[in-house]
Amino acid sequence: MFELSSEGQKAVKKELTRYESKDSAIIPSLYIAQKENKGWVNSEVIKHLSLIMEIPESKITEVFKFYTMFNQKPVGKHHVQVCTNISCAVNGSRELAHHICKELGAKYDQVTKDGRFTVSKVECLGSCGTAPMMQVNDKYYENLTPESAMNILRGMK
Amino acid sequence: MPKCTINGKEIEVKAGATIMEAMYQMDEAIAHYCYHPGLSVAGVCRLCIVDIEGNPRPQIACNTAVTDGMKISNKSDKIREGVKWVLDFHLINHPLDCPICDQAGECGLQEQYMEFGKYDPEMAERKVKKHKVVDLGPTVVLDSERCILCSRCVRFTDEVSKTHELGIFNRGDRSEIGTAEGKELNNKYSLNTVDICPVGALTSKDFRFRQRVWYLKDSDTICNGCSTGCSVKVYFNKEGLFRVRPVVNPEVNGHWMCDEGRDIYKFVNRDIRLLKAKKKTNSGEWTELTAGAAAKEASGIAKSAGADVALVLTGQYTNEEYEKIVETFVKDFKSKKIYHWINNKEHLNDFDGLLIRGDKNPNTKGLIGVLESHSLTSPFSNLEADLKKGTVKTLVVAAPENFAVYLDLKEKLSLFTKAQNLIWLSSVKNSDLDDMNGNIWQIPMKSYIEKSGTFTNHAGLEQKFHKVTTVVSESLTLGEAAELLAGKNISVAVTPTRETFVEADRRADLVRLEHRKKNEFVYKRGSL
Amino acid sequence: METKLLTEFYHLDEFRGLSGYKAKGGYAILAKALKMQPQQIIDEVKASGLRGRGGAGFPTGSKWGFLPKNNEPRYLLCNADEGEPGTFKDRLMMERAPHQLIEGMIISSYAISSKKSYIYIRGEYDFPYECLMQALEEAYKAGYLGKNILGSGFDHDMDVYRGAGAYICGEETGMISSLEGFKGQPKLKPPFPAVQGYLRKPTIVNNVETLAAVIPILRDGAQAYRKFGTEKSAGTKLFSLSGNVVKAGNYEVPLAYPLMDLINKEGGGLKPGRKLKAVIPGGSSAPVLTAEECTKATLDYECLAQMGSMLGSGAVIVIDDSQCMVDLLGVLMHFYHHESCGQCTPCREGTGWLNKITHSILEGRGRLQDIDLLLRVADNMKGRTICALSDAAALPVISFVSKFREEFEFFVREGRSKVKGTTYAEMHH
Repeated sequence: MFELSSEGQKAVKKELTRYESKDSAIIPSLYIAQKENKGWVNSEVIKHLSLIMEIPESKITEVFKFYTMFNQKPVGKHHVQVCTNISCAVNGSRELAHHICKELGAKYDQVTKDGRFTVSKVECLGSCGTAPMMQVNDKYYENLTPESAMNILRGMK
Repeated sequence: MPKCTINGKEIEVKAGATIMEAMYQMDEAIAHYCYHPGLSVAGVCRLCIVDIEGNPRPQIACNTAVTDGMKISNKSDKIREGVKWVLDFHLINHPLDCPICDQAGECGLQEQYMEFGKYDPEMAERKVKKHKVVDLGPTVVLDSERCILCSRCVRFTDEVSKTHELGIFNRGDRSEIGTAEGKELNNKYSLNTVDICPVGALTSKDFRFRQRVWYLKDSDTICNGCSTGCSVKVYFNKEGLFRVRPVVNPEVNGHWMCDEGRDIYKFVNRDIRLLKAKKKTNSGEWTELTAGAAAKEASGIAKSAGADVALVLTGQYTNEEYEKIVETFVKDFKSKKIYHWINNKEHLNDFDGLLIRGDKNPNTKGLIGVLESHSLTSPFSNLEADLKKGTVKTLVVAAPENFAVYLDLKEKLSLFTKAQNLIWLSSVKNSDLDDMNGNIWQIPMKSYIEKSGTFTNHAGLEQKFHKVTTVVSESLTLGEAAELLAGKNISVAVTPTRETFVEADRRADLVRLEHRKKNEFVYKRGSL
Repeated sequence: METKLLTEFYHLDEFRGLSGYKAKGGYAILAKALKMQPQQIIDEVKASGLRGRGGAGFPTGSKWGFLPKNNEPRYLLCNADEGEPGTFKDRLMMERAPHQLIEGMIISSYAISSKKSYIYIRGEYDFPYECLMQALEEAYKAGYLGKNILGSGFDHDMDVYRGAGAYICGEETGMISSLEGFKGQPKLKPPFPAVQGYLRKPTIVNNVETLAAVIPILRDGAQAYRKFGTEKSAGTKLFSLSGNVVKAGNYEVPLAYPLMDLINKEGGGLKPGRKLKAVIPGGSSAPVLTAEECTKATLDYECLAQMGSMLGSGAVIVIDDSQCMVDLLGVLMHFYHHESCGQCTPCREGTGWLNKITHSILEGRGRLQDIDLLLRVADNMKGRTICALSDAAALPVISFVSKFREEFEFFVREGRSKVKGTTYAEMHH
């Protein structure tokens, strides 16, 4: 059974009163829970959140499944998200994503065997001027070439 | 009160009314799925577009308030073309399930398609695949591919039942209705979602695959499940009754009914009914006889008891029947031993806030009213005392039709059989009496579906209902039973029921248009 | 020639912090504004001709004027969701000058008598979020937020709310829904947010750049602001230049700046050996312009609207002759299909259908009638939905297919790209 740590529960309680209405705390709480559940959210997490926030599970599930940054499946330690929208696409981002997958031995949206990486193709990340680029967990890595991208990733334990 | 013109006809509406409400008021045809008068406005199906004079863009009728002098129309080619395309968007991913879908014949998509359909589907790509036959709970099954995401069911569980079980998950055309994992759609009003679903996405486990709706006739009546007395429509054919759905009644039940009331048709079908009268003496075997004959025999017994004959009434018969039987007993038998059998006294005044009440009899108030008007107020405990003492010679009992809510039935039966003679008037079979000793007559009664009458609900509202059909032709009404017991000679000859139209019997080469015109179901489809 | 009303000091690292910001005149305009009457500020903004810089281009002063003249609590929501493909200007401001946004928001809140404002920032912008939180802490400590700001008697609280990855939350009512704790699904209009918005209270939603632009307007006056741009498109704007240009980046220029100047002067032109093929001038939802049309285009609302496109968010995406337009349309259709919220039927089903048809053509299964079908489906998705995402998906289809039809027909006939020569499978691997 999933349970937030005491700091996590404190953080959730803070969010419940931070905004004008209680429901606004769902997104921040899902972020907190996702961090503590190794980068993804499942029904146990939602059950726990529903209990401590006193919000129906169906409402939390609706929000959870609506937004792309909440992962419905386990992800690797480093979630590599390569933008493949138009400005990046005309600068070779799809070739870059394919190169990364080949080098890491990864299939899109699956966890590599050593558990380190998940590679995903995502939509515009607002970094079009420094295309092609990728977001690994929270950080942006911009102005990439296939070589520089692999150097960055190989350095990630 | 603003006045507006819709399709050339002027109408006056309440202030703040939307164009959709005005359309409903004048019974004007407008295609729509997500709008429902009992729920909030969603505006997501985008079918109810109308032209408003002075506005270059078509607006949706469900969210546009009527202003004084507004000129509205939805008959132009531009609007019809728009509705055609929006309907087509609904259909491009819709599975071709009509042959196996329960909703066929009363499906929103089918209806609008006949009016606005493209007929040439240009969608040549693979349709979106979603979950089919999802077990949402004990009573409802979901088919996500058929769902048009009108969100009526979600709004229902949020606003009416307030149980928040349903939600719409995922974005875009991956959206699906569902419950949170591990949770189910299980509240006392779940089956209303099946009624309001315009397509066959939500289906009732009880009704699934049992009957095609074009083989069913329907008729309005009152639910006899509890003292609220919701207005309902029962669907039936020669084989019996198949389902119950609510009818709009702003005074009593609004747009909804509870799930318990959905089962009332089960007490009416032949499989559970007492079909012929029976009698036995002491521990002997049952002998069958016609209802009239049984009543005549029993009348001799009853008359010999004179003023000592006791009568037990339950709150499940009509006001007219109560009048008749009480009058007969008071006048002809000169008996004042008339008692009211109340079940679950502790829960009599329960109310769940929406529709369900603790008094599971439809006509308790009516019965009390009749008893009081004849000043018959002896408590039931007197009868119980007499029975225990063994001084009751003849006991006539008007048994409950909906016996499942009489939890003390068996216990009371052993009490009743303490009388020397028990005359059991019941519409349903009773196997408990097989094990009991004494002189017992069972006489088949009509269920309330088979008679016309009046129920008085908890608030004192008298609601008249009409006979729907005959299921057991040999049964009697309480009034007829009373007269027969009093020794009167009335005719209870079995009259043949009017010929019911069964589609299967129609000769293929005969186009019986006249007959179809008389079947109201062909013209008035179940309203969405 | 760049005109730096907003971005003058962005190159200084210290401009991010409070002391560096104040050293360059930061929060002085706030002090000036708090001495004015709120209505004066609204009038000045109206007179300046400032239009919403997020995409819709609605006159800001007029929007503020829609608020009811009563004592109802009202909210100012800053739209920092920046999801329109090609746009990355708000990120620049939040990273390099978060205090500029905060000051602009406090002034605007004072003008509309709002006591609480939120910055709705997209979830992926982690570093800008940190910058904003840091700046907010500094602003509270210095007394620019909280009770009785600078002794004016005006109380104001500000907070930041992180989204979680949904383009539709850039739509004003989608953002309001998301902030309220629901899925980011747009709401029916009417009622409009200025009357019934966040929590059914009067709400103004403005873009990051719009709110910051209030500062130069009040500093130099509405007429000074009008010296830039045209009558209907006054002031300066940040343009996000990207795609096949040498110097992609954000550039602040006066409105009505010639498009080709932005690409060739500020943007350094195309890569050697490449020719200009097409430009999307205002974010992916804007109809595309051919190279020929670009030579006549100036970056203002009227000119681009007259040409059948739009200024939008000011995201200029440059496409050179090495790109296959069918392929790029596939990229955009995948985007809109992924981002449709799914509420109303034409968009939900239409975006999926457009995506499927485009990819059928790309994968060599296209039929000739699919090209006209694309146009008809797109045409029937317009104007019938709750929000404009459906139109935003339809407009690229219509413009790409109409202006580059030979590429589509070639792909259908030959099963491969006219420009790249290869099949779709061979294209990016």
